[in-house]
Amino acid sequence: MEQNSVLSLHQIKRCLTVDLCCNIFTSFTTLISSHLIALLFNLENFQLTNTKSNKGTARKSAHRTPSAVPDIVISLLGTMSDVISVINRNEFWSNGRLEQDEYESDSSSGSEQEHDIEMSGAHDSNGGIDHQDGSIVTPGELITDDPIWMKGHGTYFLENKTYSSVVGTVSRVNRLLSVLPLKSRYIPETGDHIVGRITDVGNRRWKVDIGAKQYAVLMLGSVNLPGGVLRRKSETDELQMRNFLKEGDLLNAEVQSLFQDGSASLHTRSLKYGKLRNGTFVQVPSSLIVRSKNHTHNLPGNVTIILGVNGFVWIRKSSKMDLSGKTTTTGSGQSDHLPGSNNAMSVSITRLEEESSWEIYSDKNDTVTVSVRQTITRYANVIKALAHCELGITEPRIISAYEASMAYGNLGQLIESETMESLGQDVINSEKMRGAA
Amino acid sequence: MSRFEIYSPEGLRVDGRRWNELRSFNCSINTHPNAADGSSYLEQGNNKIITLVAGPQEPSSRSQVNTKQATLSVTINLTKFAKMERSKSSHKNERRTLEWQASLVRTFEKNLMLHLYPRTSIDVQVHALQLDGGILGAMLNGITLALIDAGIAMYDFVSGVSVGLYDTTPLLDLNSLEENAMSSVTIGTIGKSEKLSLLMVEDKVPLDRLESVMAIGIAGTHRIRDLMDKELRKHGKTRVENSSN
Repeated sequence: MEQNSVLSLHQIKRCLTVDLCCNIFTSFTTLISSHLIALLFNLENFQLTNTKSNKGTARKSAHRTPSAVPDIVISLLGTMSDVISVINRNEFWSNGRLEQDEYESDSSSGSEQEHDIEMSGAHDSNGGIDHQDGSIVTPGELITDDPIWMKGHGTYFLENKTYSSVVGTVSRVNRLLSVLPLKSRYIPETGDHIVGRITDVGNRRWKVDIGAKQYAVLMLGSVNLPGGVLRRKSETDELQMRNFLKEGDLLNAEVQSLFQDGSASLHTRSLKYGKLRNGTFVQVPSSLIVRSKNHTHNLPGNVTIILGVNGFVWIRKSSKMDLSGKTTTTGSGQSDHLPGSNNAMSVSITRLEEESSWEIYSDKNDTVTVSVRQTITRYANVIKALAHCELGITEPRIISAYEASMAYGNLGQLIESETMESLGQDVINSEKMRGAA
Repeated sequence: MSRFEIYSPEGLRVDGRRWNELRSFNCSINTHPNAADGSSYLEQGNNKIITLVAGPQEPSSRSQVNTKQATLSVTINLTKFAKMERSKSSHKNERRTLEWQASLVRTFEKNLMLHLYPRTSIDVQVHALQLDGGILGAMLNGITLALIDAGIAMYDFVSGVSVGLYDTTPLLDLNSLEENAMSSVTIGTIGKSEKLSLLMVEDKVPLDRLESVMAIGIAGTHRIRDLMDKELRKHGKTRVENSSN
């Protein structure tokens, strides 16, 4: 059983440096940190000679009974250099994690360079250098070796070469080179109209899940409280924050500002923002929702939809406010609700006073008739279908898919994958027809 | 000698491959768009693996908050029905599983740009539906695809494969029959380079043969990287077309 592997640290270092980024597994790393703890493996005998520190032979006999588990013989050759390019670097192990500059200094070997060109050459007819705007790149792919480009998001920079770090399309704005990922979590920007869910009530603030990397913050000072805009927030308001918004409530809001680490601060200081009622919630990938001037749409069938930029969608029965606000869209069922809408702007200030009552924080739904409920469900399923087909979700598309969905009487049928795909195809076809006409 | 001939004199293996051939490799990404931020399904021979990535997201507990970089965690679920015989235990707290989890975390911690996502956590779940040898390599590939699908920035692909040594011949991408019959290593490579990010050696491998074993392993991982890259581009292309029309 005295099957001894003699690990020369020097040799290991040479071979390990091969891998730079690397975590060669378990006993190696522990060895190198010269603690010599055989941690994870089921070792029976593990004999190591640490030549570097000249500490002599360290032996750990494992705490396992001799079993079928074989000895570990980790042995690496110095002669491996013709298989693997070996670069001697001493600092690497002292500095546990890989920083970007370490990565940089490594690729100085000539073989690395050849590899990059060969790699991208395999995929691109133009040799992988200077990708066109909008071409697809994958992580580790060379985008350009021209150092004049500034590196933006989705890229990293080594040895005067810019590589992609995500899958996405190349975008060039002036001298800024970035890769827009095909899919990622929502990244908030100031002014975005979003839908969020309260997760936490804290000290003068709410935490809101907006589907981003971190929760957003909604300060008590940036909401409208009952009693009008000019009302001051008192300590009693602080104590009854749960009466306004509590955990699980949905609200729509606007991104007011961004913090240093990219998390958002929200506000609801407008009539169109606030707590959401009378409807249903659907989540879609945020990349499918295009930023536009208006994210609240009144749709045929007396339904209003809020397409949050973060991919959270709220579909509700149209309220009087929805219908009086703007003279939008192709709606069929809303023309009779419109009287008085032409002076909507002029009365908005007084209306603000009226509306800023406890009503806006009510938890009670209005009566929603069965037919409206069914329409809402149909819209929800239509949006799921569009998301399933990975189609960008816009108002015309929703309406077009909604009309196409009328062919299916049964609402539940809409979320069968075949139906969803055919709906998506219908939408694309009708757009093509319109484009051709 | 068993009924099976691990490596015939004609140079054929149990399943008819030659020494340097991979098993069939299929993968797809974004398979669970509603359940996770990034997801992949991977078949490497008879290994079938679903990988889900949640994050970067708000950490579930205060203790996970790291102000410098994201916290990465990997959970491996080897289902009870994944092997030939139904296993009684869930393999959750087995030493081997924990070991794999630790090694995967350490591999990807170095390869991901975690410093871009401070105060967040990235949770990876691997579900093995079917196991047939070389599972760690398959998990590396699956996790790479799922992380890319989640849009998390990384330096390069990590691709993995197992290599065995039968007598003096290195055999690429072992299935479970072969894995039981010979010693093997698992290799994880960064992109198209010859840098190793993972080298798992659980058996005895003669010193003078390791060179050829690693050489064929690296060639195998490069091939797998190309296959994954191809799938990603295909997926990306349809996505770009959809969003533009």
